[in-house]
Amino acid sequence: MEPLIDDPALTGKPLSSEPATPSKTSPNTAKGKSPTRIALSRLRRDKVAMVSLGVFLFFVFVAIFAPLLAKLEGQDPTTFHIDLVDDNGYPTIGITGDHWFGIEPRLGRDLFARWVYGARPSLIVAGLVTVITTIIGVTVGLIAGFAGGWVDRVLSWIIDFVLSLPYLLFAIAVPAVLLSIFVGTAEDADAQQVARVRFFSLILVLSVFGWASLARLIRGEVLSLREREFIQAARVLGVPTHKVLFKELLPNLVGPIIVSSSIALPTYIVTEAGLTFLGVGLVEPTPSWGLTIATAVTYYRAHPVFLWVPVIGITILVLALSLLGDAIRDAFDPRTRR
Amino acid sequence: MTAATAAKSGVRQVEGAPLLELDDVKMHFRIKGEGILARGNKWVQAVDGVNLTLQPGETLGLVGESGCGKSTTARLITRLLEPTGGQIRFQGVDIAHMNERQLRPYRREIQLIFQDPYSSLNPRHTVGAIVGTALRTHDMVPKSGELKRVQELLEMVGLNPEHYNRYPHEFSGGQRQRIGIARALAARPKVIVADEPVSALDVSIQAQVMNLLENLRKDLGIAFVFIAHDLGVVRHFCDRVAVMYLGRVVEEGPRDELYEKPNHPYTQALLSAVPDIGVVRGVPPKSRIRLQGDVPSPVDPPSGCRFRTRCWKAEDICATQDPALLEHTEKLHTACHFAAPPTESIVAETV
Repeated sequence: MEPLIDDPALTGKPLSSEPATPSKTSPNTAKGKSPTRIALSRLRRDKVAMVSLGVFLFFVFVAIFAPLLAKLEGQDPTTFHIDLVDDNGYPTIGITGDHWFGIEPRLGRDLFARWVYGARPSLIVAGLVTVITTIIGVTVGLIAGFAGGWVDRVLSWIIDFVLSLPYLLFAIAVPAVLLSIFVGTAEDADAQQVARVRFFSLILVLSVFGWASLARLIRGEVLSLREREFIQAARVLGVPTHKVLFKELLPNLVGPIIVSSSIALPTYIVTEAGLTFLGVGLVEPTPSWGLTIATAVTYYRAHPVFLWVPVIGITILVLALSLLGDAIRDAFDPRTRR
Repeated sequence: MTAATAAKSGVRQVEGAPLLELDDVKMHFRIKGEGILARGNKWVQAVDGVNLTLQPGETLGLVGESGCGKSTTARLITRLLEPTGGQIRFQGVDIAHMNERQLRPYRREIQLIFQDPYSSLNPRHTVGAIVGTALRTHDMVPKSGELKRVQELLEMVGLNPEHYNRYPHEFSGGQRQRIGIARALAARPKVIVADEPVSALDVSIQAQVMNLLENLRKDLGIAFVFIAHDLGVVRHFCDRVAVMYLGRVVEEGPRDELYEKPNHPYTQALLSAVPDIGVVRGVPPKSRIRLQGDVPSPVDPPSGCRFRTRCWKAEDICATQDPALLEHTEKLHTACHFAAPPTESIVAETV
């Protein structure tokens, strides 16, 4: 285990813009480092984590500037280049200066444009679901752990209930149900509207099933933290309950929250792509990696690039995020380091 | 309780009442019995009828073996727990069943120092934030003056005032305990309950922290309820001492009387267990009272006198009649039917 206090070279640096003490060089007046800051500086020294973070930021950049990148190539993800596809649906061109990754068989849409736009739903769905599940999970866990008594019993029962529901069954059934409620029968449905309902139903399903495990984790943490004497000290001083919860307890949960959400993010990306591949996630015309993979499987022998491009994209992104998640866990909880 | 006058920020006061008074305070915890039928039938009588008084500036020691209810008493006085019976009067006003809102002004007046300096400070807050909690919670100083007051408090407990920006993990056990003391002092309390404040520290650090508490008591005139199982520390620090056994006070009185001529058999046994440094110098070892058996379970305490199962003086009356806490010798209150000073010297000489 590394020493908790960093080497003087690091501590000596002005870490905050706040003019805390007149002289920062003297060891007596150096500003202390919070456990979170120590974990972050530990993370900063982890090369794998930094490379992974770079990869992740690259994909975020790709997603944000997708229109710009497509324009750079001179294409967009929805134009059909029928002239470049032969009678059997196979593209007549390979990788060219006009189409960097080639074009789709049958419809002839530009693959590079589809790929850069495809990063968007992955990251948006996974990011939104992570934020939603974290907020719900932390709130429920805090309340259940701190309130105790019947509140805890009811919330714990709900958590157990959600965890015991058949997740895949719901993931398949709920979008269909929502679709029939909001769009009506499939015949007269507008493709854009169907895609939007599918998008939100995917987020809904993943959120409903995602929060429970975090809530259980946070509840356990709170149960052990609330017996700590600093909580009693705050109560003896007359600190109101909401401040005890958010000022005393919550800062101590930063570690588990960051760790669990950084591990959850890549799993949601995989889940989104997987459900979309199975035909129960996003649908056309949304450009999505999962959709591209589903179509590309049919054309693999004739047109392997079609499959490899999204697969490599998703693999690199998920691998980077998983490594980053592991590094964050190691940084925040050195005891688990191998 | 008629002439209650409001003093600072809503704290009422009855003229002539002692600073703090515990009147037949009971704390029974319900435990779940085994099986469905026995559910909730059993009660742990952690504290069962404790009477104590504390005058302004006085130091009361609370001693007794583990599990006798000392810490529960501390949590009752500081109202971390609501007693199941009896009254806790602060300046004559009963605070035993006040809700959190009514209690708020009183929170400032009674503070607690904890035993474990490693779990009593929030690891995510700076020392400045920890010490300043009381100042912010009770709006005691304007925002601009908070830092100055925090530094003043740090200096008062012997810490470098420039360290306000550091985190608890950067301090040693003794320093952490000083931070805990500064946090309690920030509220400008009239009473500080110290729950074994030095038992988690090294012996050399213990002395430093005890000296600090001693100086603070002299300078600030704060009354202390000092809980410890180290009888030497209590003798050094306290004006009066109360001995607890199985949730009750068995003997209470001025320090010297209690230490030199204890009337209760349990106090005698407790004092005789103190190691005697004189043996090293060739003084023949004093006779030691060895108690038989274990402390009975507080779920099902013995009838009558609670100590009778281990007492060598016990007779039939002890099982049927509960001895009251009465003045037997001068100023010394003892709850025993056969209260008498020890026949031979059992107390180690003071070092």
